[in-house]
Amino acid sequence: MIRYIIRRLLTGVLLLVIVCALTFVFFRILPTGNPALLRAGRDPHPNLVKEIERVLGLNKPLIIQFWDYLKEFFFHFNLGYSYYSQESVRSLIAERLPVTLSLTIGAAVLWIVGGLSVGIVSALRRHSLVDRLSMGTALLLLSVPEFWLGFVFLLLFANDIGKLKILPGAGSYVGLTYDPWKWFTSLIMPWIVLAAGSAAVYARLIRSSLAETMGEDYIRTARAKGLRERAIIRQGVRSAINPVFTLFGLEVGVLLGGAVLVETVFNIPGIGVENYKAIVSSDFPVVQGTVLLAAAFIIAANIVVDIAYAYLDPRVRYR
Amino acid sequence: MSTSVGELLPSRGGLEFLDGAPPPDGVLGERARSPLQLFWRRLRRDRVALVSLAFIVLLIVVAIAAPLVVSILGLPGPDVQNLNLTNSFGSPLGPSWAHPFGVDQLGEDVMSRVIYGARVSLEVGIIGTGISTVIGVAVGMYAGFYRGWVDALLSRFMDVVLSFPILLLGIGLGAACSVRGCVKGLVQPGLGTIIFIICIATWPYIARIVRGLVLSMREREFVEASRALGASDVRIMFREILPNLTAPIVVYASLLIPTNILLEAGLSFLGVGIRPPTPSWGAMIAQAAPIFNTAWWFMVFPGLALLLTVLAFNLLGDGLQDALNPRSAR
Amino acid sequence: MRSYRSLVAVASAAALALALAACGSSSPSASSSSLGTSAALSTGGYKSPLTEPLTGGKRGGTLNVLQEIDFEHLDPGIAYFSVDYAVVFATQRPLYSQKPNSNEETPDMAEGPPQISDGAKTVTVHIKHGIRFSPPVDREVTSADVAYAIERGANPNVATPYIQVYFKAIEGMPTATGGPIKGIETPNRYEIVFHLSEPKGQLVADALLLPLTAAVPKEYAEKFDKNKPSNYANFQVATGPYMLKNDARGKVLGIGYVPGKSATLVRNPNWNPSSDYRPAYLNEIDVKIGGTSTVLGRQVLEGTNIVQNESAVAPPVVQLAAEKYKSQLEISPGAGSHYIAVNNKVGPFDNIDVRKALWAALDRTAMNKARGGELVTNVATHFLYPTINGFEQSGGLKGPQGPQFDFNAYPEGNMRVAEKYMKLAGYPDGRYSGHETLTVVGSSGSPAEQDAEIVEQTLKNLGFTVKFTLVEASTMYAKYCNVPKEEITVCPSVGWAADFADPQTVLNIAFNGTAIVPTGNTNWGQTDVPKINAALAAAENVVGREARAQAWAKIDQELVEDAAAIPFDWDKQANIEGSDVDGVGDIWNVGEWDYSYTSLK
Repeated sequence: MIRYIIRRLLTGVLLLVIVCALTFVFFRILPTGNPALLRAGRDPHPNLVKEIERVLGLNKPLIIQFWDYLKEFFFHFNLGYSYYSQESVRSLIAERLPVTLSLTIGAAVLWIVGGLSVGIVSALRRHSLVDRLSMGTALLLLSVPEFWLGFVFLLLFANDIGKLKILPGAGSYVGLTYDPWKWFTSLIMPWIVLAAGSAAVYARLIRSSLAETMGEDYIRTARAKGLRERAIIRQGVRSAINPVFTLFGLEVGVLLGGAVLVETVFNIPGIGVENYKAIVSSDFPVVQGTVLLAAAFIIAANIVVDIAYAYLDPRVRYR
Repeated sequence: MSTSVGELLPSRGGLEFLDGAPPPDGVLGERARSPLQLFWRRLRRDRVALVSLAFIVLLIVVAIAAPLVVSILGLPGPDVQNLNLTNSFGSPLGPSWAHPFGVDQLGEDVMSRVIYGARVSLEVGIIGTGISTVIGVAVGMYAGFYRGWVDALLSRFMDVVLSFPILLLGIGLGAACSVRGCVKGLVQPGLGTIIFIICIATWPYIARIVRGLVLSMREREFVEASRALGASDVRIMFREILPNLTAPIVVYASLLIPTNILLEAGLSFLGVGIRPPTPSWGAMIAQAAPIFNTAWWFMVFPGLALLLTVLAFNLLGDGLQDALNPRSAR
Repeated sequence: MRSYRSLVAVASAAALALALAACGSSSPSASSSSLGTSAALSTGGYKSPLTEPLTGGKRGGTLNVLQEIDFEHLDPGIAYFSVDYAVVFATQRPLYSQKPNSNEETPDMAEGPPQISDGAKTVTVHIKHGIRFSPPVDREVTSADVAYAIERGANPNVATPYIQVYFKAIEGMPTATGGPIKGIETPNRYEIVFHLSEPKGQLVADALLLPLTAAVPKEYAEKFDKNKPSNYANFQVATGPYMLKNDARGKVLGIGYVPGKSATLVRNPNWNPSSDYRPAYLNEIDVKIGGTSTVLGRQVLEGTNIVQNESAVAPPVVQLAAEKYKSQLEISPGAGSHYIAVNNKVGPFDNIDVRKALWAALDRTAMNKARGGELVTNVATHFLYPTINGFEQSGGLKGPQGPQFDFNAYPEGNMRVAEKYMKLAGYPDGRYSGHETLTVVGSSGSPAEQDAEIVEQTLKNLGFTVKFTLVEASTMYAKYCNVPKEEITVCPSVGWAADFADPQTVLNIAFNGTAIVPTGNTNWGQTDVPKINAALAAAENVVGREARAQAWAKIDQELVEDAAAIPFDWDKQANIEGSDVDGVGDIWNVGEWDYSYTSLK
């Protein structure tokens, strides 16, 4: 087991390095703006631009730049400095990570609880009105573009521009420690928007998975033996949970990298928005740092899920 | 020769198949049909799926015949600017008889743009997914058939691509290719870039599934038989195995289409996708964002169009899946 | 001012105008508003910096400021955008500055007007006694501090964007890299003398109101200036009525300025009110960064002790204010101009008649409608804009008159005239029939996006095939429009705001053939007409306000005749305040609220 874990971790790290390298290459080779130019201000002397390039290390060969970057990252945990604000990327990320965490964790809780409960109920009452309604809604929520849903919510419920003024509108996010109530209420709509699509997927998934399981022979046997319905359901859910579990890990991983769309609509100062700004203004260090973070989360999520599977199913370890 | 469609696989993130072997002759009092025929038969009976299919076909027709549709409805073209349709502060006017969906900040008719916007979404959805599927099938086929180091290499490659946050990759590529295009102009800004992004980022989903299916299928007797008859690897892959994968490939590709449509909408919303003046539903929502609390029509109608289109594809995908997989609970 | 935080959808400040504030020379009468009144300066009945009272405010209180975009550079040596100026001019005292309603150069750190002598090759300034730096430096300001402030601008770690533009004439400046400059002399603690290699004393004297001349203590700052890039901004000290909050070591970063989040200005304990013309009513200013412009706008209009400050208020908010919160809306004329740059060197627009055709065909009223209509725009008919010295001499609102300006006579566009010029250019159908495809790169975000689309449509109407892209504003400038090698045919989203009210700052670099550089080029159209270049060189050295006005107005008209670029908008900036705020805006800084004059009711 331990050997499997170590193997998985090493693979993960290797993957991260590869992703890092690819990002490096992508964003420098692609025809984006020259950050030295962008920093140089109006009417810069060509020597100034060259000097800035030298200072930022842009004139060294790509390999050297990458190696320098890796060294800084692994030995000093230094991710470089933003070309614009000269703020360290690490602190930029550290500032925004709690925001993204608030967003992601809240949404994740919502969609797991919501998705699973709706899915289980639907599976047990197949073809009933409840089932049809929930599956119908699920399908609808799956199909809606989340950024549009965000705007629709704002139009309906935001207390500055909405029809029913019950929830704080866009841009009202504050830190948890600053004002817990405001923090909570300002995140309600973003959570629902983020969770909606995923909850729908899970509901459907668990419904089909569970219904399938419930039809299995061993369940019928258990019933015939007189096992209580509750226990049977629990048994069923445990078997059916696999695909949901996988998906969950993956999605949380992706979201932790920053939910750009929702953050944009609701003006939440998270990592996604930071990343977007950095990409469009060719702020390479910030781009590098945030993409790396996002990839790290995805890879980590995969590793966790893999290890969990290995724990539950020993055969997996020897693949 | 009897063939089977697939087996229960411990695939991750994907959806499992049940063994779709046909019932033996005589049990149902009718001639046994191949799974593919059963697939189509079951699909034909699913009314919801058929309605969705009809909607999609209608959408395709409207998209192709957009100029005709627009002129029949008496609307101006999607690029016709008319600043007189804004008030003295430059805010656009709302729905009226002449402009049922209102106008945007340039006085362009929103309904007209919504109709033309279907072109982009469908092109992205169908062409993008199509190319991505082809790539995915090819890679998955090779990985699953040859196994060993070929599989190891290709699977790692899939892992790397899957570890990349797609949206961010899309933003990066979209921003980079915006003026002059990429790959020496092979990838043009706008639609070309989006399709490029989709192809780069989404093929692993198909590849993984195809790989899994091929892995199980290559052990079957018919493959052995083919080999004994002296068939080449390529022949076995593409003449024997591939036809059996048609149904699941179609199902998964169709599930990928709505995701890709939403991806384009998201990228255009962020400003790195389709460029104006080409109408794109996602871009229209972005343009509506600064004024959406006063000019609600400009935000609502493109969003509804997106919702209905994606819903239709999802329903169709569901129907296809059910047709493939009848014992799954529905 | 340019705003490149375009979170696409968000109502980003379109401002494509570069630059910022200014200060400048003024017209002779030194009354409360030296700009007088004219049709070009009217603001539709809403208050403007020209009508806001400068005295009588109530002392005390904390002002909240909502600001969508972050500051660009708060280092006085680098600050260059209007959003930065609001803070920099409240905390730093350059040699000269301007009062909110005027373009007159008012002595600030200086004791009196600059003395130009020696055939305009020497400029002497005496600085006031007894002005001290804020904690932790605390000591008196001397001329050596002013000298260092200017010298550090040449240090590549600081890299003042405009230093070569205005101060190149100082002996030793062209080759300076941050060390002492031969032409800047400090004979005693309170005197600073600039020795110039060319007779550009008037220009240098006018440029002394730029924030670069705000004193910086060398012994404290030089360790920060050694960093690449300099981080003096994060540890800056102040000489003005306010300072960015700092700790005992002088650290501002994380305390008085949290990037992307907030800035806090508190009173400077070492500021001596009797040495300053500013009243400084407020006790504290809290800036909160971020949010959506539309949402921020509503919060301000419905709130108290709150204002919005940045380059442009979102159009729906302007409408809301104009309809429902009339007394809380300020309109500031002379906020810069917008024009369409066309490539005079490469492509179909190297032909003057094609340029005139585009000018004639363009519907400038529509372009301005998309920007918010008549409240915040004036149709531009030449390049000098209202409040700039020489505007009236160049034709004022109507612009230069005469039959040779027929392409300029139709603000709503006139295809007949356009066709006439296309025919003159050699296209017998009146439409383009060549094979070149135009590359058009505009700026994303409202309203720049809409204007760019109108231009694209106009080009198509003239028969051109257009490859059209919108990118983020800073990328548009830095990567495409500022780089001649990219051969962009049309840049529809460029703009200009003067550094100060002298017409040279509007016309010179933008249209001088000798100012074309391979990167960072702001003569976007690459205008290079020998006759105009000569006139520009001569006009640079003209002395005296009225004479300069005449000389530069003439150049303005020649540029129109050459159709060097196509101006379409003279901006009037809208700014909003809460109901209990007596805001005073700076006319020389697009009407942005001046923290040293604003008070609470």
